[in-house]
Amino acid sequence: MISLIFFLCIGALLFFCLFFLARRNPQTEGSSTALVDARQALNTLQTGLLPVGLVQRVFAKEDWDYVRSETPRSIHELFMDERKGIAVLWLRQVAEQIGNLRRFHRGAARHYAKLNPRVELQLAVSFAALTGACRALQVLVYLGGPYVAPHMVGAVANAAARACRMSEESIAFLNAARMGVLAVQRSHLAAR
Amino acid sequence: MRLLARYRFFYSYLASVVLVSIVMFRALAVGANSALYRDLYWPLQFVTLVTGYGILLEIMNHVLRPYPGADRFARISGLAAFAAIFCFALIAPRIMPHWSGGTVIEFERDMRCVQAIFISGLLAVIFYYLIPLGRNMKGMMVGYGLYIVTSLVSLAVRSYAGTSFDKIWEIVQPLSFDLSLLIWLVALWSYCPNPVPDHTIDLEQDYEALVARTKSLMDAIRAHIGKAARA
Repeated sequence: MISLIFFLCIGALLFFCLFFLARRNPQTEGSSTALVDARQALNTLQTGLLPVGLVQRVFAKEDWDYVRSETPRSIHELFMDERKGIAVLWLRQVAEQIGNLRRFHRGAARHYAKLNPRVELQLAVSFAALTGACRALQVLVYLGGPYVAPHMVGAVANAAARACRMSEESIAFLNAARMGVLAVQRSHLAAR
Repeated sequence: MRLLARYRFFYSYLASVVLVSIVMFRALAVGANSALYRDLYWPLQFVTLVTGYGILLEIMNHVLRPYPGADRFARISGLAAFAAIFCFALIAPRIMPHWSGGTVIEFERDMRCVQAIFISGLLAVIFYYLIPLGRNMKGMMVGYGLYIVTSLVSLAVRSYAGTSFDKIWEIVQPLSFDLSLLIWLVALWSYCPNPVPDHTIDLEQDYEALVARTKSLMDAIRAHIGKAARA
């Protein structure tokens, strides 16, 4: 019975893979514009979304304490709704930009002959965990308000910053490689 | 002719299936229960099973060749999967005495399982690295994959349920192969090469990107200065 279940599971796995393959859009991806998108995503994350000051401000409990002590109840609800909206928007933006970085990384890494499968697997897990944490946090903030999981916010911001550093290295590698190609092309032209 | 030259392994597989079918048809003419038919059935089935691995090789060659990174990943994970399966085959009889691999049906089931794992791994690499597939390759994969799924499931059920499943098996197995042939007929009607993405970045595009980036930075700085001035 165990062997039957095992083989049925393998069959089901392949069937679902084929189903998704049949439904897949055949367009090409990973063109040169991906590098520009990645740089912009990286820039947006590092300078716009992940600075510690901004994250602390968006999720600052002191603001809520101040509003609660100094304003009437109607303002409390308004403040909470608006702060919740900002927090959800911040998380959505972070998830979106991380998705851009991941797309860029996959599009670039597939051409790299010395790719390290172990590092690739680690990266895949890191990206998936990060995106999952962003989604989970979005749900938590939506249901419980912006101050429901302060530690998780910090963890997401730190993990996103780590992903940024890794992507920055891969973009730097591509720049160096491309510059090498350009130098070779230039020397060929000079030789002619 | 162009398709024959491009997809040699695939057409070798089809040729082997045709040849085996002709031989088996001749043997069947002697009698379905004849010793000749029984002696030939499993060895020839094994021949088509082995040539079927050529389709996997064909898919890897055509789909992953323009992507050295993804190709390397697929080969290494394929080797890892093979090692895992090999170890499992050695260990399974010791830890699971009920796990039987003794009969010919069970041997074919195990071989189909290995093919299913390889195709699933290959598809995982294709999905993960966003590798585009042309109509020919997509059809080849879907057609062969469906045949493997049906074979694997029916062989697994057959080895579990015994001869009582033979009547269903005799209908399902040829039907699934007919479906695969139909998919291949449509997908391989004409040559359709795999799309290859442009991964070279030229100087003009770099310059444009630099200009766009500088402009966006300038806009951001302008907005900050405006905010500071208003504060």
